[in-house]
Amino acid sequence: MKENSIIKKRSRLIPGYIVVSLWCIFTFVVIGWILLASFSTTKEIFNGSMIKFESGLHPENYTKALFTHNVAKYFVNSIIYTIPSLLGVILVSAPAAYVLARFKFTGSGIMQKVFVSALGIPAIMIIMPLFSLATAFDLVNSRGILIILYIALNVPFTIFFLTAFFKNLPGSLEEAAAIDGCSPMKTFWKIMLPLVQPGIITVTIFNFIKIWNEYFMALIFTTKADLKPVGVGLFSMVQSMKYTGDWAGMFAAVIIICLPTFIIYIFLSEKIIAGVTGGAIKG
Amino acid sequence: MKRNRTMFIAFLAPAIISYLIVFIYPTVRTLLMSFFHVDNITAKMSTWTFTGMQNYFSIFESEIFVRSFLNILKIWAFGGIGIFVVAMLFAVLLTSGIKMKSFYRSIIYLPNVISAVAMGTMWMQYVYSSKFGLLKTVFSFFGAEKLAAIQWTGPELLFGSMLVAFSFGMIGYFMLIFMAGIDRIPVELNEAAKIDGADGVRRFFRVTLPLLKGVIRTNLVLWTIEAVGFFVWSQVFSPRTLETATITPMVYMYQLLFGSETVVTARNVGGAAAVGVLMTVIVIVMFVASTKLLKDDGLEF
Repeated sequence: MKENSIIKKRSRLIPGYIVVSLWCIFTFVVIGWILLASFSTTKEIFNGSMIKFESGLHPENYTKALFTHNVAKYFVNSIIYTIPSLLGVILVSAPAAYVLARFKFTGSGIMQKVFVSALGIPAIMIIMPLFSLATAFDLVNSRGILIILYIALNVPFTIFFLTAFFKNLPGSLEEAAAIDGCSPMKTFWKIMLPLVQPGIITVTIFNFIKIWNEYFMALIFTTKADLKPVGVGLFSMVQSMKYTGDWAGMFAAVIIICLPTFIIYIFLSEKIIAGVTGGAIKG
Repeated sequence: MKRNRTMFIAFLAPAIISYLIVFIYPTVRTLLMSFFHVDNITAKMSTWTFTGMQNYFSIFESEIFVRSFLNILKIWAFGGIGIFVVAMLFAVLLTSGIKMKSFYRSIIYLPNVISAVAMGTMWMQYVYSSKFGLLKTVFSFFGAEKLAAIQWTGPELLFGSMLVAFSFGMIGYFMLIFMAGIDRIPVELNEAAKIDGADGVRRFFRVTLPLLKGVIRTNLVLWTIEAVGFFVWSQVFSPRTLETATITPMVYMYQLLFGSETVVTARNVGGAAAVGVLMTVIVIVMFVASTKLLKDDGLEF
């Protein structure tokens, strides 16, 4: 009797397994095929014999993508934009989140709401004045402007995310530090900041994925090929595919560009997923 | 407390200043701009001429803008329904006691961490390819030659194909939020309903769904923000420079301001500002409407 009900329960789940499995298989096939194609040749991709790899593996697609199609340059540019931005966002946001989370003062509640509301402002609403500001300071087509924008644009989300972490720390920490003669500033840097390290790591992963994949701002502020990051670079490469016809090289470029976020995801998917739901539900 | 004041200022100042420069100042300026005739994007405020609501009327006279506006409505409505239904289905399936839940969950969420340009390229250049595409291969394998011959990125199907490809990636994101909502519903509630004889479908509509009101509201607002910013996929799914089949207001605005091809000829930046304001108003209206319509009815759990 009991066994029967377990079997019944299991068999009830079968359609569910089939649906989600098919979905995942589709994802694997698409990414797997792109990966295989990136080691094949354009000719073999087109005549459908790619899977057999009759002419062997072609890792030269990667060197072609990196150096002939400039993906190496785009990749380096993306690194140059991403790392200072990630550090900058935390330096600006963490102290602000700390003050907003731990101290009640006139306007602290409103200030939190105002920061959150920025998450609803579409890029389309702010892009023109940003562009004219950048022009006035002669920053269009410079690396600085993208770093400044990536920092400032991600501050509201980072503050929002870190506020929750600071709020969860025990209330007596500051008092204990003050009794021991620790100044408020020092308390923050030496005691509070290290305690929210998990939050800082999670939000930095999010910011990394966002900044690495950012497209719109990069498209507008970098028109020179030398300054393009990966997203814009890949797009212009795909556009020129009509003339170059190097499909294998293009698929290699797709793989190279996905690799950094993909590798991070393989190791940290649980952390990322927990972060997505934590942030959205509280909002 | 007094001791803290210096710290407050020092800690908040960088965030507030960056917020004022990147969000407040541009929002106010764009709002003003939308009521003026502005020659170009860098024009000084003294050269603007006030035209009242003229910019708002003129964008709706532009055939391309109207097209882009209808497209975004279609994306919001059809994409939204599709994404929410599938995301909810997956969320219910994955929380119903399936093994390897976290494996499935992380695969379904995966497209969200990959560059949209790369994802779009995979769909456009592989899945939908009429030469070596996945759909073509699968349909030919099953002998469905008619289906295999479909031009997924041809003029008639381009918009639909783009929407499917885009939604495919978004589903994982909304699924995660639904799942977190379902996980918070106490097991006893469903158990009680089960003892009372409610079947799975009934339990979903009578117990789970009403308790997910708040989560649905959050998702609705997030989805509206996402839809308003629809840009990359439209670009990737544009075989021509200005593809009206997939154009969205953001692409329209981009063409208006920075387009090298003068398909959108009017060089009045005020119109672009009006597009921006309109999109922001849509987000605000959706936020207010969903908060009003899906009020938390005091159900605590």
